[in-house]
Amino acid sequence: MIKFAVPAIITRRVVTALVIAFGSGVVFMLMLIEFDHQTSTEEFCTTCHSMELTASPYRQSSHYMPISGVRASCGDCHVSEGVLSATLDHVMGTKDLFKQLFGPDYDNPVVNNLHLPEAAFKAREWFRKRDSETCGRCHVQEAIVGSRADTAKIHQEDAVGKSCIDCHINLVHRKVPGKETFKRDAWNRMIEEEFGLEPGMADKILKGEVEPPEITADLN
Amino acid sequence: MNCLDCHQADASDVDAIQHEGFTIATIVSPKDCGRCHVVETEQNSSSVHANAVSLITDRMPVMAANLGGKAIIDAGCAQCHGSEVKVKGDGTLDTATWPNSGIGRINPDGSKGSCSSCHGRHAFSKAQARDPASCMRCHSGPDSPDRAIYEASKHGMAYFAHKEKMNLDSDSWIAGKDYVSAPTCVTCHMGAAGKLPSNHDVGMRNAWNLNTPVSEKQYLVMYEDGDKSEIPASQPVPDRGTEHTKIDGSAGKVKVVVTPDRRRKAMRMVCLECHGKNFATSFMDQFDSVVELYNEKFGKPAQSIMLDLYDKGLLTPAPFDEPIEFTYWELWHDEGARARHGAAMASPNHTWWEGMYLVSRNFYSKFLPQVRAVAGDEADVLISRYVSDVKEHHGWLDNPEKGNPILGYGTRKAGDD
Repeated sequence: MIKFAVPAIITRRVVTALVIAFGSGVVFMLMLIEFDHQTSTEEFCTTCHSMELTASPYRQSSHYMPISGVRASCGDCHVSEGVLSATLDHVMGTKDLFKQLFGPDYDNPVVNNLHLPEAAFKAREWFRKRDSETCGRCHVQEAIVGSRADTAKIHQEDAVGKSCIDCHINLVHRKVPGKETFKRDAWNRMIEEEFGLEPGMADKILKGEVEPPEITADLN
Repeated sequence: MNCLDCHQADASDVDAIQHEGFTIATIVSPKDCGRCHVVETEQNSSSVHANAVSLITDRMPVMAANLGGKAIIDAGCAQCHGSEVKVKGDGTLDTATWPNSGIGRINPDGSKGSCSSCHGRHAFSKAQARDPASCMRCHSGPDSPDRAIYEASKHGMAYFAHKEKMNLDSDSWIAGKDYVSAPTCVTCHMGAAGKLPSNHDVGMRNAWNLNTPVSEKQYLVMYEDGDKSEIPASQPVPDRGTEHTKIDGSAGKVKVVVTPDRRRKAMRMVCLECHGKNFATSFMDQFDSVVELYNEKFGKPAQSIMLDLYDKGLLTPAPFDEPIEFTYWELWHDEGARARHGAAMASPNHTWWEGMYLVSRNFYSKFLPQVRAVAGDEADVLISRYVSDVKEHHGWLDNPEKGNPILGYGTRKAGDD
């Protein structure tokens, strides 16, 4: 019979502690996974009223109601793969919560739309930094064949050195121009026209010089 | 050529958008085309075509907005004349102003015109631009009846019969050299013919203005900065080197003044590629006589009577709120234009039955009775002064007893049916 000599340091207490630590770790990780999962849903994201304004165009988009029946929820695109990255994204995302609580009145559609471009630019940058990896949850570049003659070719030859987000912007949320061609003045004039505001009001609202008008969001 | 050659844009351009990693603009304006087609763009930029919006800015609110509505301006007027394209803050083009291929379109980059109006994107076929069908998209209908007139003319007859001999795809397209079968709209109004060079200013060879209540010969004033103005012969013509106020109100230094005669000579050079000198001159005489007849017999009297009615307060200044205003409008703008265009492009049917006959019928049987209804006791003075006393044209009204066996009461002779 072979006998293992157990070092003196491994006492019953140590073993117990290790088992508890391991168990806690597993539970903690499971909790993180569950946390990431629960906080990636449309239902959770839209608990902030301002997010309803973002979600409304999404519900008209092909990512919400495609013929395939596959629905991409908020987190499917905006939260990274892997529990650690996903958790980090959520931690970073809490700044939005702070802004919601202590920043401008994002629930007001005028304010929301005036701030939208910067939010869009940041979101696009987020995608670019990760080489649009979350798109890959559903889309496989090699599998993009399409029904039109050039679709496959474009996604192989022309796509070299590009990330999905470089071409595919404005698919889901309200249309915002690319950062390089964005013109703040023109955007402000458009929002003023849309909400029937005096020219110049948008700039003042952005600077916090005047209160935005009371407007209830029309989410349809 | 690839997409970017035409669609490239600077990020600072009003209508720049990002597309597949490139900065582009949807609208390819004459400024863009002019990167390569320098001469054509320059010639067109000051043409009556490029100014097709500016020229009707004053009229549109009344004509289209009052009688029609904004939707009509967008989908009607502006589709030929051009829209003022509006770029929205999100980079999209305002749907009321785009799509639009109107020839005087005011583009986001400030340039005027739309090359694709004639040179349809993306084939840019020479043959298509030279085909009268390109012009007919707008030059048809009551106010610009050139489609029907051309089709009914000898020129049109020859074109449709010999289209395959027209060499429409040829790089060089000089009348008399590269083709002789027929002239198209392009041939006479802008094409190269013999020694006459082609020119993308389509109105240069027009000695008359045929779309006014009364036609006038017109001078072409060309400014140092490349702009141009049309000056009716009744107005003072500026001297070379002097300052002159342009249509848009700005000042320009006069570089050249082209007389109506010189413009006529240019047009005549085209005729001479196929016709003899006498033939061409005599044709022009016939045309001029029709314009003068229209002016003297109907255009001027109708205009004078209308002005008097307004002066006397018998009509409100607002156009089209009284029936006679429609009658007068149709007399000069529709029927009168058709008669004059018909004579200009040799369609006998449009000169008379579709043109001057309708002017005449309108004038005697509708316009004058409406004048009587509007002016009451004052009508006789007006009508005597401008109509009955002008014996050369209206003297026949003094002989009501002079019958005609077919057209009215009269003695039938044996053999008449």
